[in-house]
Amino acid sequence: MNSLRIARAALRVRPTAVRAPLQRRGYAEAVADKIKLSLSLPHQAIYKSQDVVQVNIPAVSGEMGVLANHVPSIEQLKPGLVEVIEESGSNKQYFLSGGFAVVQPGSKLSINAVEGYALEDFSAEAVRAQIAEAQKIVSGGGSQQDIAEAQVELEVLESLQAVLK
Amino acid sequence: MVFAWKAAGITYNRYLAVASRALRRSLKEDKRIIAERRGEAAEVKFAKWSNGKPGETVNLSSANAAAAAENATSVPSS
Repeated sequence: MNSLRIARAALRVRPTAVRAPLQRRGYAEAVADKIKLSLSLPHQAIYKSQDVVQVNIPAVSGEMGVLANHVPSIEQLKPGLVEVIEESGSNKQYFLSGGFAVVQPGSKLSINAVEGYALEDFSAEAVRAQIAEAQKIVSGGGSQQDIAEAQVELEVLESLQAVLK
Repeated sequence: MVFAWKAAGITYNRYLAVASRALRRSLKEDKRIIAERRGEAAEVKFAKWSNGKPGETVNLSSANAAAAAENATSVPSS
């Protein structure tokens, strides 16, 4: 009996199960390899508890991919690209200005950010012009705060420029 | 991890506002106009009351800048 259970468990092992073994409980095999994504901005909800396959987020602690049954966690986001792989297999890319991603128990992911737009909404030209302007401020003789703010802008713009190419 | 903006006394809230502003300005023309109109919050002013009397009316953004300068921990190397 015991050995049978071990053999069945071995058959069931999949990549997600290896990462979060404590969350898996046999029997419920039929449920969801999907994760419910809510991607919300103060003025708009881009996703409202929609089933998706995978979400890649730019956390401050490093880039991470979130699948179903992910361990619950809270991650601060850097300004960067969020990739959503939808049920249909299509891949959507959004650039967010920074915020938080909360992985909740039960395959739910909430991402909150201040600004976020689809990648195709950005103009490479505007980014280039702003980088030049911010670099001028950084090397200029403004106050410590002005320089720090320009550096923040540079960080955003450079990561945006890197993904626009 | 200490962020450079934190050392300059900038709050996380302000950091996000600056990052979002840069993002809005990077949009294509049509979307940018809509976003900037929405994004630029109204000028907030406030006064500190003490002993039942209002103090001086201050612009929030200039008060924030002053607070940031006060909270700055060190002179950045660059």
